[in-house]
Amino acid sequence: MRGTPSDAEVVALVLAGDTEAFGFVIRRYEAGLLRFATRMLGSRDAAADAVAESFVRAYRHLASCREPARLRTWLYRIVTNRCKSYLARRSAADVPLDDAPAVADPLDNEAALERADQLALVERALAELSPDKREAFVLKHVEGLSYEEMAAATGERIPTLKMRVHRAREALLKVLEEYA
Amino acid sequence: MNTIDPRIHQVLDGELPAEALPEELRRVAAQIAAAADLLAAPPAQAGASLESRVMARIRRPPPSRVRRMLDWLVTPHALVLRFRPAWSLALVVLVAALTLFSVGDDGPELGEREGIAQFVGRFPGARSVHVLGSFNDWRPGSIALEDQDHDGVWRATIVLPEGTYEYMFVVDGERWVPDHLAERLVADDFGRENSVVIVRAARR
Repeated sequence: MRGTPSDAEVVALVLAGDTEAFGFVIRRYEAGLLRFATRMLGSRDAAADAVAESFVRAYRHLASCREPARLRTWLYRIVTNRCKSYLARRSAADVPLDDAPAVADPLDNEAALERADQLALVERALAELSPDKREAFVLKHVEGLSYEEMAAATGERIPTLKMRVHRAREALLKVLEEYA
Repeated sequence: MNTIDPRIHQVLDGELPAEALPEELRRVAAQIAAAADLLAAPPAQAGASLESRVMARIRRPPPSRVRRMLDWLVTPHALVLRFRPAWSLALVVLVAALTLFSVGDDGPELGEREGIAQFVGRFPGARSVHVLGSFNDWRPGSIALEDQDHDGVWRATIVLPEGTYEYMFVVDGERWVPDHLAERLVADDFGRENSVVIVRAARR
């Protein structure tokens, strides 16, 4: 096999009994899925739990992944559902700002501090969006999924997703302008 | 709420080049894109990789059926039910007819807590149709439907312990299709709609 196996090849290996090959899947998609879940849940710990649980579920149900070549979209779908379950169990009032950026290191330069401030502002604006809009915005603009991939990942129709992304942009811009 | 010029959405959706926007609108588009770029950076203090944690779990043998049942009982579940009144009614009539008229026929021998599940689907041109479900641990190929008169309607009748089961059809070994004649459909975590069959004991 070549140096970097394709998703379909990795899936075939795992289904043939090579459990360790699933490590490829984790290494390949962990960062993106963690970033997505962190943006959705506002908590790195909750995001790590959601993504770890999603990987375990993906492994156990890998045989039902009908299009191994589109493994990425399938994984986003599982993580999306885990995040929704988590958010449904947690009331909005419980949304922690615990994972607000750490206290700035005094050795950081001015540009880095300004960037941290801007990120905190954007994260706050994102947290004020409804989960549906937040999900649509993050999948589109942070994870870079196409509308077709988003439809596969969320089970929603493309016009619905477009509308949510548009509304999210408008709400985000409004919040950014208010806080700026 | 419509605070953004539609052309900005078109640019951000890749349907229009940024150069097509006047300077002022281009600044707004850039502001949104910059916010997304900030979010796209990996979260700070990402911590150790999840790989060892996940791999340790998947190397362990899967929990026993009893363990999974106990876990399921104590875990909160979100359930989406979509009723289709016409088909539900048809299924009720079918089940009632089976209950009233099938007992005493020379059908399969039933245990005290067993019932009959009938699976029927219309798949013209299909080469094979199987039913997979929670009653056979979703094992591919174990229960085949038959189309004896080649009219595109595939059928299987099986005896199952009484209970509620989720299932899907697999057409030609690759196409997963829910049974729209099912009493109800439930969404699972993988974006599928599973059909649900309730098997009632024929003898009580």
